[in-house]
Amino acid sequence: MTPSADNAALVAGVGMTPFVGFRRDASVRDMVADAARAALLDAGLSSPSQIDMGVAAYESDHFNRQMSLGQVLSDTVGLTGKPVVRVEGGGATGGLAIRTALMALRSGEARSVLVFGGETNGRSVDRATAIEILSMSADFEWETPLFGTFAAPYALMITEHMRRYGTTPEQFAEIAVKNRRMALDNPLAHRGMAITVEDVRSSAPLSDPYRLLDASLLSDGAAAVLLATEDWAQQHSPTFTERPPVTILASASATDRPRLSDRPDEMFPHFAAKREAAAQAYREAGIDNPADQIDVAEVYDSFSGAELQAYEDLGLCPVGEAGQAASEGRFDQGGQVVVNPSGGLMGRGSAVGATGIAQAVEVVSQLRGEVAGPRQVPDARIGITDTHAGVGSLSVVNVFGRVG
Amino acid sequence: MRITGTERDTGPDGRAVYLLGVEMAQRYRHAVGSSSPFYEGLQRGVLRATRCTGCGASWFPPRRFCEEDLTETDWYDLPGTGRVVAATLVHSPPPFGGIDPPYVLSSIRLDGVRGGITHRLIGDETPEHGTAVTVKFIDEAPAHPLLAFAFAIEGAAP
Repeated sequence: MTPSADNAALVAGVGMTPFVGFRRDASVRDMVADAARAALLDAGLSSPSQIDMGVAAYESDHFNRQMSLGQVLSDTVGLTGKPVVRVEGGGATGGLAIRTALMALRSGEARSVLVFGGETNGRSVDRATAIEILSMSADFEWETPLFGTFAAPYALMITEHMRRYGTTPEQFAEIAVKNRRMALDNPLAHRGMAITVEDVRSSAPLSDPYRLLDASLLSDGAAAVLLATEDWAQQHSPTFTERPPVTILASASATDRPRLSDRPDEMFPHFAAKREAAAQAYREAGIDNPADQIDVAEVYDSFSGAELQAYEDLGLCPVGEAGQAASEGRFDQGGQVVVNPSGGLMGRGSAVGATGIAQAVEVVSQLRGEVAGPRQVPDARIGITDTHAGVGSLSVVNVFGRVG
Repeated sequence: MRITGTERDTGPDGRAVYLLGVEMAQRYRHAVGSSSPFYEGLQRGVLRATRCTGCGASWFPPRRFCEEDLTETDWYDLPGTGRVVAATLVHSPPPFGGIDPPYVLSSIRLDGVRGGITHRLIGDETPEHGTAVTVKFIDEAPAHPLLAFAFAIEGAAP
């Protein structure tokens, strides 16, 4: 399908801060202000006054130390007087915020929506506190008392994937190597690294088979996107005609049993919600062969093996083949679909409320052909973002396309 | 809440930046509510689940009502046996403590109910998929009530 701008939700502007381990010089509101201002300037606006509505994305009052942060952020980015809605969906928060803005545009409730998200997941909290807060992402009543690390439920899933399909730790270590290498070329990335599969396998054990370098980063950061109807963009965004517009072709979301052990045996090593969200989004976008039609994908690599599992659930390769695909480099630079050119959560980092929005910033930049250096995927036309909460309790897949 | 200190530092642009040390401690009385009969079961050494009084569908963890037909559920005792779906050796302690790492965590499909539990296996063996396990009540003063029990691999030395 050729993306058309008719009645579409266009991405009029994008912006983000660097993701870092600790911003000693900026609060979460400062970072969101920087990201939002960058998105507004990218759209060519001289003021936020024409924007109809805000969507604030953040996961945790525990990390941000501010309740009712949505209104504070809305004020910070210059939207006082306008409606704002705060969106939370665990790790999928950013993706869900964009989906929420899209729903507002499609309903006619708004013609332009600024989506902004941020989180201070980095070292503003000590490690023990961060682990304690994150442990509440599991079911507090039935799982948290048992989970020494959030790596544990992911480890259970990938263990079953290994048994069923012969997937190996070296295969998902390849993904950890790939994403950290990609991040070396991304100036906004938290931590790019030139490492080997052996480095991953010899790093500290978390929950077998996962090691420290199989895990993603906890970052401070913010990101923003301005979505608008074509009419609004033509009227208010001077940059709209300066470059090929990027539109949101589809967005879908689904849920799964939040507790891993409640899930049926046949789906145990798979992200059922991701599979459903992807299938719905592809139908809506007219994608029937995702591996051939999608050029670039920002995938939720909370753990290296989670990206491997996602290859299958996002339909980028047949079920059971993801290990082989990873070792062949099928989703590396120059591969069939370039996955996580930003470096992903393992390399660019993750500031939860910002993460899914930062994925969109990367995909939109890729589709516009604006990425500097070797990270740019040549002639990228269709890109997706994939985020999930918990171990896949909620998934959001957003599909972006370049018009023309 | 209290301020533990004010720190003056230098930002990347060379200007002064200030950081506040903040300490907060939260204390709660967490009602386990409709799961209370499960906690009662722990007192007499059984695991319990809920069953729909209409269609008979069973649910673990317990549910207030049947999601098939909205009928309220009732409680019954489980045999306390199951089989391993997957197991992992975890290298850090859980947030409430009570288990010294490394320990074996397993997703267990429980017999006699739809659903399962992610819980600890006794010993340091990570068993194969399908291995039979049985609940054992091991601790009368656990760090968390759910740690009163763990699962033993059937056939393993006691």
